[in-house]
Amino acid sequence: MAIVELVPVKTRILTPQDNIVEAIAAYAGDNIGPDDVVSVAESVVAITQGRIVRPEDMDPCFLARIICRLVPQKGSLSSAYGMQAAMDAEGKWRVTFAMIMGILAKLVGRNGVFYELAGEQAALIDDVTGTMPPFDKHIVYGPDNPNGVAEAIKARFGCHGAAVADVNDLKRAAILGVTAGLNPADLAQILIDNPFGNASQRTPIVVIKNYAQAARELAAG
Amino acid sequence: MELLLFFAVAAAALAVAVWLFIARQGDAEFEFLVDQRTDFKLEELSGNRAVFSCVVPFVNKGTQDGTIMDCFTRHLLPQEQFDAVEAFSRLELESRRRSDGYFEALIVPKTDGNAVIVTVAFAAKQGDIRQALTGMVDMPVEIYFQVVARGKWYVDKQRIVMMADEVAAALKPALAGA
Repeated sequence: MAIVELVPVKTRILTPQDNIVEAIAAYAGDNIGPDDVVSVAESVVAITQGRIVRPEDMDPCFLARIICRLVPQKGSLSSAYGMQAAMDAEGKWRVTFAMIMGILAKLVGRNGVFYELAGEQAALIDDVTGTMPPFDKHIVYGPDNPNGVAEAIKARFGCHGAAVADVNDLKRAAILGVTAGLNPADLAQILIDNPFGNASQRTPIVVIKNYAQAARELAAG
Repeated sequence: MELLLFFAVAAAALAVAVWLFIARQGDAEFEFLVDQRTDFKLEELSGNRAVFSCVVPFVNKGTQDGTIMDCFTRHLLPQEQFDAVEAFSRLELESRRRSDGYFEALIVPKTDGNAVIVTVAFAAKQGDIRQALTGMVDMPVEIYFQVVARGKWYVDKQRIVMMADEVAAALKPALAGA
């Protein structure tokens, strides 16, 4: 019986000057087989796509400065800059509408409506301190076209599949992008213990070894 | 006309309510407790170099969590005032020490705090550092900090003064042992 093994891959700090596929080739290329699935951390994909901004380069609009006040303090959109980033990504009026509907929904006991309506980026934005140095002084957006990134990784390495994942130490795992034929829920379950580790461990790539073989054996009973 | 007036009054009432909400909510407010800093103590003494450090606590005394995005020191020792040494300074978070001078952005919950370790190094321009520091003057060290919270980011600063007497007292045991 093939055993699925998670192999975290240590890298240097990746920057907007890097290409995520080339970085995987440099650090994990020799260790990727045809039965493996390559997963990468979403924030690192976003950084290599240059999807970062410094608060000093932003000028929050009046609405961002007001609406951020309605977000609980721990949220990434609770600062005027985080909120402005969400507005820049998803549209000022969409985010404003989502906030109004979110408040109304809360009044009748329904939570989460703001993030349902505000767009995917609103939930993916990491405010300052949300990422490892030197990006701790940046707001980091979610990745662009994560499915495309996953397909590019698969095409380059000839592996079984690839995924872009958002995982944290609080047992939350979400698959933002995945190659065709893979089940995001299964991958999320495999990555639930956060094999990417914390920022200082610098392991933004995790190779899921023997995934296809294990899946075949499971299907064959 | 009455409908228009109703909407105008409603909009004004909403604006006042939002303003009151924000005013009541407040924001983060950081203060470095410079009067509670420890005395500078001697960390290292060798040939032409002496290193001193002290601990300065800080607190977020505001009503909201806030982030210190960056924090650094600026020492003020003009050559017109004292020309025998070259000074260097840096700080690091007491609870997360690092040697690279980089300040990792830090969320500080409301009413919570932490402390920074301020390190000052002197290099004698000529000869022995103990000799060079004879006649040292009081030296201000400013702590600059950049804050991001609910409102727009800003930079503030507070000042400690490294007293000449303090430097002399910190050096005294080393001099006695020499």
